[in-house]
Amino acid sequence: MTAARAIVRRGLTLVTLAFVGLAGVYVLALGHTPIEARQGLAQKIFYLHVPAAWCSLLAFSLVGIASALYLWLHEPRLDRFAAASAEVGVAFSAVMLTTGPIWAKPIWGTWWTWDARLTLTLFLFFLFIGYLALRAAVHEPTERARFSAVVGILGMLLVPFIHLSVYLFRTLHPQPIVLKPSAPSLPPEMLRTLLSSMAVFTLLYIGLVTTRYGIALTEEAREEATDAS
Amino acid sequence: MPPENGAYMVAAYVVAPVILVGYAVWLWKRSKQ
Repeated sequence: MTAARAIVRRGLTLVTLAFVGLAGVYVLALGHTPIEARQGLAQKIFYLHVPAAWCSLLAFSLVGIASALYLWLHEPRLDRFAAASAEVGVAFSAVMLTTGPIWAKPIWGTWWTWDARLTLTLFLFFLFIGYLALRAAVHEPTERARFSAVVGILGMLLVPFIHLSVYLFRTLHPQPIVLKPSAPSLPPEMLRTLLSSMAVFTLLYIGLVTTRYGIALTEEAREEATDAS
Repeated sequence: MPPENGAYMVAAYVVAPVILVGYAVWLWKRSKQ
């Protein structure tokens, strides 16, 4: 129980540091990064939308990897990590799926379009909402871990399709700017802000997953104590 | 001359931390139970 609380404290410290970093990213993005000539101020949404997308795809990929390893090794820590990463991934997806349409309205003239990238991303979000609902519905720990691991692996299989969808299908969504075979196509000041934001969001992901993992550990210890008494 | 669309930027810069800080606060409250 004490170890679990220490993990929660460590996680919350990282989360606090990440929010301080996020304030720094706001200063950098709003005060020290040039305004893009064609898109205007709306382009600055990019510094939140892209890191949120990066963290949600990272989170769901790690859910899939941890789930596959769980099915092989039957190690409860892997299941606990997968559950934590899925919940945090849903939070980052919510940021991605709200900031995206807010950018699209002034740039595309519409909040939403059913193209491959957007539709697949929304599907991934719903899939992981289903993953969390499944975990809440099944109470037997081993069965819950096994069923949700299968869903987690299926969710991970969508991630490469989402990244490559802008190449595979005709889509309105911009092509990758940083994660692509050639060098990043951004002016240095914009790239610096984007990379800073991605680092801060990644730290936030680590902090939130650590906190959520510690909470799961605390809850398990409490359940075991209740069962024993 | 860049287009005037600062209101959309402000909306996104408000919505993102509301979701993330809201989730972090929910986790913090859950850890206190």
